Order: sequence, then structure tokens, then C-alpha cells
Amino acid sequence: MSDTPVARVVAERPTPGTPRPYEFPAVARTRLANGLSLAVIHLPGRHLVSGTLVLRNGAADEPDGEGGATVLAARALTEGTERFDAIALVEASERLGASIHAEAGWDAMSIGVDVPATRLEPALELLAEVALHPTFPEAEVDRLRDERLNDLLQAEADPRRRADEVFAATIYTGGSPYRRPSGGLKPTVERLDAARLRAAYQRGLDPARASLIVGGDLTGIDVAGITERLFGSWGAAYGAGPTGSIVAESAVRDRFVRVVHRPGSVQTEIRIGHVGLPRRINDFHALSVMGAILGGLFNSRLNTKLREEKGYTYGAGAGFDLRRAAGPFAARAAVNTEVTVPAIVDLLAELDRIRTAPVDAAELKAARDYLVGVFPLRFETPGPVVGALAGLAVHDLPDDELTRYRPAIEGVTIEAVLAAAGHIRTDQAAIVLVGDADAFGAELEAAGFGPIVIERDHGAQDEGRATAVQNDLEPVDEGPAGPTEGAESGEASTADAALTPD
Amino acid sequence: MPSLPTVSFTDERLANGLRLIIAVDRLAPVAAVNLWYDVGSKHEVEGKTGFAHLFEHVMFQGSRNVGKAEHMALVQGAGGTMNGSTWLDRTNYYETLPSHQAELALWLEADRMGTLLDALNQENLDNQREVVKNEKRWSYDNRPYGSWYEKMQGHLFPADHPYHHVTIGSMADLDAASIDDVSAFFRTYYAPNNAVLSVVGDVDPDDIRRWTERYFGGIPANPDIPHLGDLSVPALLGGEVRETVYDKVPLPRVYVGFRAPKFGDDRLDALDIAAQVLAGGKGSRLHRRLVRDERIAQDVALVALGFVGGASICVGWATLRPGVAVDQVEATLHEELDRLAREPISDDELARARALIETEELGGLSRVEERADRLSMYATLFDDPDLINRMLPRYLSVTAEQIRDVAAATFRADNRVVLTYLPELPPADTAALRTDEDATSPDAAGADDAAEDEEVAA
Repeated sequence: MSDTPVARVVAERPTPGTPRPYEFPAVARTRLANGLSLAVIHLPGRHLVSGTLVLRNGAADEPDGEGGATVLAARALTEGTERFDAIALVEASERLGASIHAEAGWDAMSIGVDVPATRLEPALELLAEVALHPTFPEAEVDRLRDERLNDLLQAEADPRRRADEVFAATIYTGGSPYRRPSGGLKPTVERLDAARLRAAYQRGLDPARASLIVGGDLTGIDVAGITERLFGSWGAAYGAGPTGSIVAESAVRDRFVRVVHRPGSVQTEIRIGHVGLPRRINDFHALSVMGAILGGLFNSRLNTKLREEKGYTYGAGAGFDLRRAAGPFAARAAVNTEVTVPAIVDLLAELDRIRTAPVDAAELKAARDYLVGVFPLRFETPGPVVGALAGLAVHDLPDDELTRYRPAIEGVTIEAVLAAAGHIRTDQAAIVLVGDADAFGAELEAAGFGPIVIERDHGAQDEGRATAVQNDLEPVDEGPAGPTEGAESGEASTADAALTPD
Repeated sequence: MPSLPTVSFTDERLANGLRLIIAVDRLAPVAAVNLWYDVGSKHEVEGKTGFAHLFEHVMFQGSRNVGKAEHMALVQGAGGTMNGSTWLDRTNYYETLPSHQAELALWLEADRMGTLLDALNQENLDNQREVVKNEKRWSYDNRPYGSWYEKMQGHLFPADHPYHHVTIGSMADLDAASIDDVSAFFRTYYAPNNAVLSVVGDVDPDDIRRWTERYFGGIPANPDIPHLGDLSVPALLGGEVRETVYDKVPLPRVYVGFRAPKFGDDRLDALDIAAQVLAGGKGSRLHRRLVRDERIAQDVALVALGFVGGASICVGWATLRPGVAVDQVEATLHEELDRLAREPISDDELARARALIETEELGGLSRVEERADRLSMYATLFDDPDLINRMLPRYLSVTAEQIRDVAAATFRADNRVVLTYLPELPPADTAALRTDEDATSPDAAGADDAAEDEEVAA
């Protein structure tokens, strides 16, 4: 193989052609007499239609004693209605080639369907039945509750879910719903019953605050007429509760380290961060660009340092989880156990660097060009278009939020990125680790990141050299469990689908 | 019934053997570029497992005119996305971009196909070796039930078969990979006559042809690409294999696995539908019986994974509810598979399965990235890209009798592997949990991922 013929390639890089003009698809909005908002997006050639009804009750609206009720209520919507039991319902939707799915996240509940356009009307009939006439059968609710409890057991063994859970429980004060996973934890989940689920569901059951969004090739389909027929008689008489304010206070004062000891772990799951920001902020676009540079792009500072230079991890990233109230900011990586401490050093150094020094012009350009350029790719098919509009509804944002996104990103300056990075704090951050503390404990102490708490078993703690363990660091005695999939894939992610680099 | 739009495409070859497939779609201002190389982990030899995938990572470390990780910088800077993946039968690389940037992806792919070795050095290889080892830890070693897939594939194929080992490979083999290995692998398999390039989207075919010729035309073919020998295996395993695994898991899990007809065989189409009927969603038989009615399982899954060499596999699992006997769950699982092998499914069940598959196809084919990948796949594996238009009709023509027949041929005790994962417990406690001499178990999230190909970026 020594005399391989020489390959001729072209050294000169191609220059881009002329971009085809792109606008986010036009949204036709109407409102029913009962106040239900209808958004219709006609997307020629897209024959798989997507529809979503957004109700404005999220897990963040639950009383503390009912954590998990909203996520479970969403799951129970398809378990029985006035006209159908669960099996009849799933069979009816399968005959249409449709799957009706309902889920809830922190900020909203949504009931959605993807179906060929020719069968949209019967699919929306099922969706309306599920949304407006659920019966919460006791036996099915019991089963779903037990499945969630078992899922929490499983989560304890999964280092990723455990790190996310402990991180949330560490950075928020006891009064914040964000301290728990949106699906709730054992002490409240085990008390959930049909009445509590119904109450959680009814908090969102106000047509004047709800939105139906339908996108796809709707040629010849009278979506407004169908909506009027199916949802026109939905009255506010169903009752609805107003949304109170959401507590999202930080429990982190001085920096400290919390370790969940997992003997034999070959990697350490690292989370570094603190309470972040809500979705509705003035510097949203600068924050998006900053996030891409720090931990969003493949060549972000964190991924470049920890993966491409050091080989510590398969991937490192960071970002703000923007919710109605201040969601968490976290830098994250899973690193091989031996490099746990050097990886933390690198992560902290990068967080400090972006806080304190302006980014390069080239970095700014790369991030802006990516966010602007990838926008049309994200909205190729109806599902993401509908999801983005659902996100606007959840956060009370106007339609032009999407059309102005690209110009706003283009306008972000180096100064604005530096200002946005000021939301990151490294001296008031929690460092949460799930890994083999015996392997890196001594090195961790020597590194001096701050007081160290090591949890070796459920609730049991070893305290490191420091004794300044704040009272909000009580053990997670019920054991951490990750957010359920439904909870994670709910509206919280759709809101910013276009806005978070992957 | 909506009819699927036909994918119209052209299919041609450059003089050096590169196959070029173009499908125009003007709906959105996007273009997908997808390059399949006919090389996968099945081409690895003993002592070199995991190499095809490690090599895929090296392909992002630069070439003559592209710096380390610059591939990502250029594609993302153009507003695009990209990745690569490795699986038993293939390695692929793909970019999706705003359509006016399509030429960039062709240039990037050509530069590394032609000149990867110009940029190869020990530092980059060592770096990506560590990244891949962390990928293995993250995806398998540090996950509950994370070892199940490697065990399953190992049991389903004999030790001397190239499907015996999994794509991620072993830590020892990854440690042993050298610069010489990378060079030899590149010279052997990364040639235009061993690749299929598909471009789908808002593009002018004449532009694509001109650019492809300009960038790829000067890369020489390799006339001596070695062919794998006969990969055939007996259709049946020839006996039941059982293993019990103690792991850091809270709930026991029973995995089952079977040898199945090769990818491309229409009996595998029928088995795909069988898997849909058994475990495809809340209306499926296993979910209904184990999860909903008897409430002995927390979750269930079953899926056929198509391979072209020798045999495919069909694998699934049930996670036990606390306090339920492993025996009971395993027996119920087998009972439902046996029932499918005895009685034809009802017309309604078949109609529902067909409707769901149709929607799934409609969804998958609506994205240019997926269409490009399927064109490359069917061309690489079957020399027949038009299968993109014929697979759905094939699925829709499967009959209840064909489903029963393939279930009867596949779901047999002498063709199955049973892995039982049990929680690690002190010996006294463990004895109480065990209901027979064999027991093992795996993970819900990890199981999905483990059955996926290996990608360069998470």
C-alpha cells in the first residue's frame, strides 16, 4: 500500500451562493368567542400535520405538597375519557395513524397529535375528547403513580439523572418548585390520587388562556370551523385557577462542593452552576450568543478545552434553562474519574474567562452565523413550527418574536455578550459531583474549591474539612430521580427550540 | 389513505467510482449532504475492535486544507449541522445546511476523503482515543444495565463472526490502535469507489454534478478493496443461551434476543410489523398485558435491528415491578411471543400497525437529512436506492399469515438469548430474589442508546 496514487483535491474553499429568502411561516390567528386562541400555519407540501393544544398549567404552579401532580395528570389524560376507555382511545387513534400525546413541563400542559392531513378532523376530535373530557380512572391513576415511583427508584441508579436532581435540590431554596424534578419526588408522588390530578388539570382549563396551534398542508381543510365545532362549547365554567408567582430563590451563597459518592463509577458527572434567569429578559439574544460561545457550539470554549484539547469527556456544555421564573444555569460534563479535579479547574476557568474578558470577534461571528443560519433548518417540518408557537404562548410572547429573532441575533455585540456573561457566577456556584469520592476525595480537598459535603449513602454525610454547611444542604433523603421524559420534552424545550444550539 | 410522495432522484457515477445520487426538493431552503462508506465494525479483525468508530472520530481532526475541528467550525458557521456515525455495516458522514452553502459540505467531504493522512498525527489520535473511551464509559460502562447490548450481540453471533463484537469495541483494543492502523484503514476503505454520496434538497442538480466532479474527481479509486468472506450463520442459534448479571440496578430486567432474517429479506419486514404489534406503543400486546393489565412490568420494548451479513437480531426487554418474580415476567413475555407465532393477528390489529407505519414513514421522509441517509443506505447495502420508494408498499403488503410465520420461525426457545439483570445485593438477600439458577438485567434509556450507532458528537 506504499504506492497509493496521489489524490488531487482543491485547496480553495468555496464561497456561499445567494441565500434564498426565508421568513418564519405566516401565522393566521383567530379567537373563539370563549377566548380560545387559534393559530393556523399553512405549510404547502407538508402532509403530516401537527396540532397542539396548550394549557397554561405547569408543574411550577403546583402546591408544594402535590409535586408531580401536573406531569402525572397529563399522562393520565389518555387513560380514559367520557366516551372512551384507554384501550378504545389508543385503538381509535392508531386507526388514524395518529398518536395522541399529552405531557406537562414546568410551564404548561400540552396535548398534541401528528396525523396525515386527510385524517386531521377525526384526530382533532380525539384530541378534544382527551383535553376536555378526561375521567382520571382511579385504577389507571394508581398504576401511573406506581410507575413514577418505580421510575424514581431507577433514577437513583443513573448517575446523570442523579446529578441533575441533586444539582436542582442544591441550588434552590426549599420553597421553590424548581428544587424538585417536574415529575415530583416520592413523598408527594405517593400521595397523588385521581382528585389531586384532576385539580392540577383544572388549573389550566380556561379557554381564554389556552391556545390551539395547527400546522401543515391544510389545503381544503376548514381548521377554524373544526375548532369551533370541537372547542366552541368549552366554557370557563370548567373552572381555572390563576397563576401565582413562582419562587425561584437561590440557596447558594459561597461556593461549595457537594459529592454523591458512587463507588466504582468510571466517570464523574459534574454540574457547576446556580439559579439562572427567566425566559422574559431583555438580553435574551445576547444570552443565546454567549451560551453558544461558552457551551453550545461544537467548538464552544468548554467542548474545545475539555474534549478536543484534553480528551476528558465525550462532550462538555453549558446553558441557561429559561422558564417562566429563573431556571438553572449549569455547566456540565461527564469525565473519567481520574481527571475529575482538573476538569473542574478547567470548567471554572472558562466560566471566569467569559465573565471577565470580551470574546473575540471571530467567536462572536461564528456564534451569530450559526444561530441565524440554522434557524430555517429547525423549521423544516410542521412539528417544530407548532412547537415554537406553543413556546410563545407559554411565555406570552408576540408572534414577531420569531421573525425578529435573526435580526436581533445579528445585532448582538461583543459588549452585549460580556454583559450577558455577567449573569454567570463562579464564586456563588454549587459544584455537584456524582462519582467515586474515594478516588478523587483527597485531590478535591487540596484543590480548595470550597466547603465539601460528601453523601455516602441515602442521607448520610461526611463533611470535608469545612463545617460551613448551609442549612439548605440537607440530604436528599428520598433519593434523587431525574425528570421524567415527558416532563423534560414538554413545552419547556419547545419554547426555545430555535434558540438553543445542540 | 394519503399516498406518500415519490422521491425522484438521479443515480450516476464519477469515473473514479463515486456514486452520486441527487434528489431535488424545493420546499425548504435547506440541503442535506450524506456520504456512506461501505465499511463498518464488521470489517474489524480480532484485536482491533472499535477501530472503525475511532477512525470516524479521526475524520474530524483535519485534512490537508482543513484544520483540527475546523470541519465543525465551517459547517456550524454556515448555519449547518453535521455528524458522523458508525455501525456494524457502515460508516456515514452528513451535513445539513442552508441550501446556498451545499458546496461547502462537498468540499469538506472531498478534502478528507482525499487527504486525511496529511493531517494525521499522534496527538490527535491520542486525543480522540480518550474521547472515544469516555464515550464508551458514558454510553455503556457508567450506566445501569449498560452492558446488556454487548452481551446480547456476543451471544447471538459466534466468536469468529464479525458481528460478535460491538461497534464501540474494547478499551484494550482502543488503547492499542496506532497511527499505522489508521493509515492502513484509510488507504483500504476510504476510496470513492467504496462510497455513496447523496444530496437532497433545494439544489440545482447541474451545480451538484459540477462541484462533485471538481472536488472528488481527482481522488483515485482503490482497485483492491478487500471483500469480506461469507458471513452466513445458521438461521437459528441452535439452543437457548442464558446469563444472569448482577448490576447496580434497583429493578430486575429480563432481556430476550433472537436471530432474525437478514436486512433486505421480506421476512424481516414482517418481523418489523410483529415488533410493532408486540411492543409499539400503548396499544401493543406486551404493553397491554405486562404493564397495563397484569402490572408485572414497569416498561417493555421489542425491536428488530437489520443487518446485511448473515442474520439480523430482534431484541427486547421487560423491567420488573418491585416484588414481582423474574420467572413470571419471563414466562409471560414468552407466552405473548408464542401466541403471535400460533395465531394470525386480527384485521384490525394489522390495519392499526399499517397506519402507524405509514405515518412514521411520512414523518421520516419529510426531512431532507433522513431522505439523503436512506438513499445512501439502500444504494450502499443493496445497490438499490429506489428501495426508498418501495419499502412502504412492502410493509403495507405484509399479511397476518406472514407475521405469524416469521414469529414462528424466530421466537423459538432454541433461538433465544435470555439475560436477567438483578440488583447487586448481599448473597443472602440475593438468594431470595432469584427464582432459578440463571438470572441477569439492563436499562431503559441505556438500552435505546446502546442499540444505536456510535456518533462522533453527543
